Amino acid sequence: MRARKLSNEKEQLVTEAKAIQIGVPKESMRDFIKEVMKMPGGEKILECIQCGSCAGGCPTIFAMDYSPMQIIKMINLGMKEKVLSSSTIWVCSLCYTCATRCPRNVDFPTLMMSLRNKAIRENLVNNCAKSNFHRYFFEVINKYGRMHVPELFVKLLDITNFNSLLRNVRLGLRLFKTGKLQLRAPKIETSWVSSMLEKTDQE
Amino acid sequence: MSQKPSIGVFICHCGGNISDTVDVTRVKEAIGILDQVKVSETLDYLCSNPGQEMIKNAVREKVLERVVVASCSPRMHINTFRQVMKSVGLNPYLLEIVNIREQCSWVHGDKEKATNKTIALVRAAVQRARYLEPLTPEKLKVTESVLVIGGGIAGIYSALELADKGYQVYLIERNPSIGGHMAQLSKTFPTFDCSACILTPKMVSLSHHPNVKIFTNAEPVLVEGSSGRFKVTIRVKPRYVDLYRCKACEECAEICPVEKPSSFEENLVQEKAIYIPFKQAIPNASVIDKDYCLYLTPYLAVLGPPGKRGVCARCKKNCKSDAVNFGQKDILLDLKVGAIIVSTGFSLMDPLLIGQYSFGFHPDIITNIQFDRLMLQGLHKPSTGEVPKKVAFILCVGSRSETASGRSYCCKIGCMTAIKQALLLDKAVPEADPWIFYTDVRAFGKGYEEFYAKARGHLTHFIRGRAAEVIPNGSSLMVKATDTLLGKQIEEQFDLVVLSPALVPNKGTKELANMLGIDLGPDGFFLEVHHKLKGVETKRQGIFVAGAALGPKDIHETTMEAMAAASKVATFLGRGEKSVSPEVVYLIPGRCNLCGICVNQCPTKAISKGKNEVIINPISCNGCSICIPVCPKEALDLKNTTDEQMIAQIKGIAEGEDTTPRKIAFVQKRTAYGSVDLGGQNRRSYSPEIRTIRVPSMARLGIKHILHAFAAGADGIIFVEGEDSIFNEDRMRERAMLFKKDLGKLGIHPLRLQPTTTTLPQYEKTLVLFDNFVERVKKMTPITQEKREEVKKCLESEKIIE
Repeated sequence: MRARKLSNEKEQLVTEAKAIQIGVPKESMRDFIKEVMKMPGGEKILECIQCGSCAGGCPTIFAMDYSPMQIIKMINLGMKEKVLSSSTIWVCSLCYTCATRCPRNVDFPTLMMSLRNKAIRENLVNNCAKSNFHRYFFEVINKYGRMHVPELFVKLLDITNFNSLLRNVRLGLRLFKTGKLQLRAPKIETSWVSSMLEKTDQE
Repeated sequence: MSQKPSIGVFICHCGGNISDTVDVTRVKEAIGILDQVKVSETLDYLCSNPGQEMIKNAVREKVLERVVVASCSPRMHINTFRQVMKSVGLNPYLLEIVNIREQCSWVHGDKEKATNKTIALVRAAVQRARYLEPLTPEKLKVTESVLVIGGGIAGIYSALELADKGYQVYLIERNPSIGGHMAQLSKTFPTFDCSACILTPKMVSLSHHPNVKIFTNAEPVLVEGSSGRFKVTIRVKPRYVDLYRCKACEECAEICPVEKPSSFEENLVQEKAIYIPFKQAIPNASVIDKDYCLYLTPYLAVLGPPGKRGVCARCKKNCKSDAVNFGQKDILLDLKVGAIIVSTGFSLMDPLLIGQYSFGFHPDIITNIQFDRLMLQGLHKPSTGEVPKKVAFILCVGSRSETASGRSYCCKIGCMTAIKQALLLDKAVPEADPWIFYTDVRAFGKGYEEFYAKARGHLTHFIRGRAAEVIPNGSSLMVKATDTLLGKQIEEQFDLVVLSPALVPNKGTKELANMLGIDLGPDGFFLEVHHKLKGVETKRQGIFVAGAALGPKDIHETTMEAMAAASKVATFLGRGEKSVSPEVVYLIPGRCNLCGICVNQCPTKAISKGKNEVIINPISCNGCSICIPVCPKEALDLKNTTDEQMIAQIKGIAEGEDTTPRKIAFVQKRTAYGSVDLGGQNRRSYSPEIRTIRVPSMARLGIKHILHAFAAGADGIIFVEGEDSIFNEDRMRERAMLFKKDLGKLGIHPLRLQPTTTTLPQYEKTLVLFDNFVERVKKMTPITQEKREEVKKCLESEKIIE
């Protein structure tokens, strides 16, 4: 009985170990690194010595699931899905602190922008606030031809969540008072916007 | 020597190694009928005693003047046969060896073709042997004194070593005292030896040594002459204090009104404008800083408007031994030396360049050498004087960095210095809390790993992660970093932050390299000839480098290199006489018009301009012969590979009645020839159309030789240069391109010339190229006899295309 239990535990451990995606097949690992190296910002990716200068000074690291240096390590290990579905690439505020301090000239923020594009194309976008903002922003633009703030608010805020609504009421009122919040949707020609967005999609 | 010397040819069977593939008797007969060949013999083993005796007897009986031995590679037995030559009273350079084993019998299967090739090779050797000259190694006088530039630990050590060996040593140092950086250190890793305690005895014994002359405040300004006979002009800057009168009582410093930051104390404390650099300074005498002294500077900015020159002079008035002398001027001295050791060391990179660590914005952010000074002054915070408890050591400040302000290399001492300082802090301060922010701890020397373990045992915090920034925060300093192993952010307050800046070449390294005519590496440090085998030699004979002038290193390695350099100098200078290889470039009298092209081309600076013609220093010349083909007047030639000898050999190898096509491979003597030999030893067969000629370097070959080869019957030429050659691949290809253009103009396909390089083990590459080349030439339309006549005419009319 005990032996069986042990073997069960062992099996579980093995499956867990398999689940941790470290043993990526070498070929696919190479493919991903090569792909990243062709992206803007990814040229120096193999130069990284994992010193941690980037992570040490990063102002938005508290909201990231992986630190910048971890992202680079993961790229070097070929962990494509984890990198593209991470929140780090969306949370990065593109302040370039890491890029100015990096001793190996890795252009991390530019790489983050390239990876965002890649993530959208591969349909691996992380469901964090920052990425949602980008998505809704373009949805609204596509719909009206220009920004319509109330709709963006509604999309961003979870309307079923009463508390979150309540928290933002004051901000909404202030915006309304200063005329920043126009309730009526703008009416302009939208076909050119959507055709433009389609074109960028194709590229 | 008679104009038509008698030649003896001896062909070896090598116990079947040669005779199985080559019809030795036919070779013997074919060669025997040539002019001047008095003896043509074969024997089973020429290298054996009976073989040697046979050669000796033949030389004695037939009065031979030249000997041609056709046997194995000259790399194998050249010395054996040269000894034979010596024992019968012939000059060893009158011997010619033909390689018919490694480069003929072992690599060819077809007996007919191999025999034809052998005949061609031996015939070429006989042709060449007609022009051989007796050569003797020259003995040249060299100056038995040495100049050591830089008086740090490397300079001190090599000077002491050479002085003990009996050479006159001149040591010049830019600063007022010798000692260098080592004099500033507190303890040394990993043994905790007191730095001053082990250095100053060496300094004292150097200053008392009868063979040593020390010049402080001195710099070289001009280097003339050449290896073995340098004339160096040095400028000794005024000290304004008479060295012999000064008693180092320091009473002058007490009354001097001007204060300045002390450079020895790394600007942490103030000293007077007249000062002794440090207590154990050698020479132990005061020195006046010209930039601060009120008497010597017309005015000081702080004092407002320009005052009258000649104020103050308190020190002069009060000196009891009348040592102060404001009238001193720059002195130019000429030193005659045979060799030079460069030990100019390093300096620390300015951490201001790496802005995020706020160096210079808070007094408690210091460099590691400043920390060592603080340890010796009694550890305190420069801002308040309190004892610091929590200290951050930030490593790799500017090192291992590809940015514009950073350095790409490792500083090599930062890790160990930080560990040493952490341990010293632990010893000096109760409840000390050292944190070391490292990228990788590099503990590679003897006892270093144990030293690292010791620091870990003392509860030193090792944080793997380069610190991101240092933020001055009132009296404390906040360090932001990430622990990359935990993936955790760190924001800690510290009392003191110690930076380990990158080590950079000392100021003036570039100018000195230009002056001496030696190379700098891409990192800005001096470049050695070979990283592994010639670690302290430069490309210029007689100039050696030691210590941190070559690159960052610790004291242990520096002293090792200093001793190595001293030993090399002793070997180089010998006992005032130097035996020089006779195979060097010489000037054919009456041709030189002093155009100076060769002077610029010479990589070892062996050629200099004289009054009527150029002067070649045989000590510096390494026989690379880059200068020979560029000479428009054909005034230069290389001994033992003269134009006459080469052309005779080329003709001999390319001519012949047999109709097989012939390709000549010019093979560099040192590595490439060994590589082709190695192919033979591995029995890697290739086409017998390939016939090799041994040359010192591809640089020896001019368009003349190539045209001669084509005129005489060759239909393809290969250059095989060694990759280690001083005539590197790029330069060779550049020159080959010019040859190809000229060939094209004459109507010979440019692809009939093929340049390549090889290393010793890479014989396969060369031999595959041989095969491909033979195939390629086969497809081309053959060179007609008319074309060859045309080339010959072109050569005779001396209308060689420039």
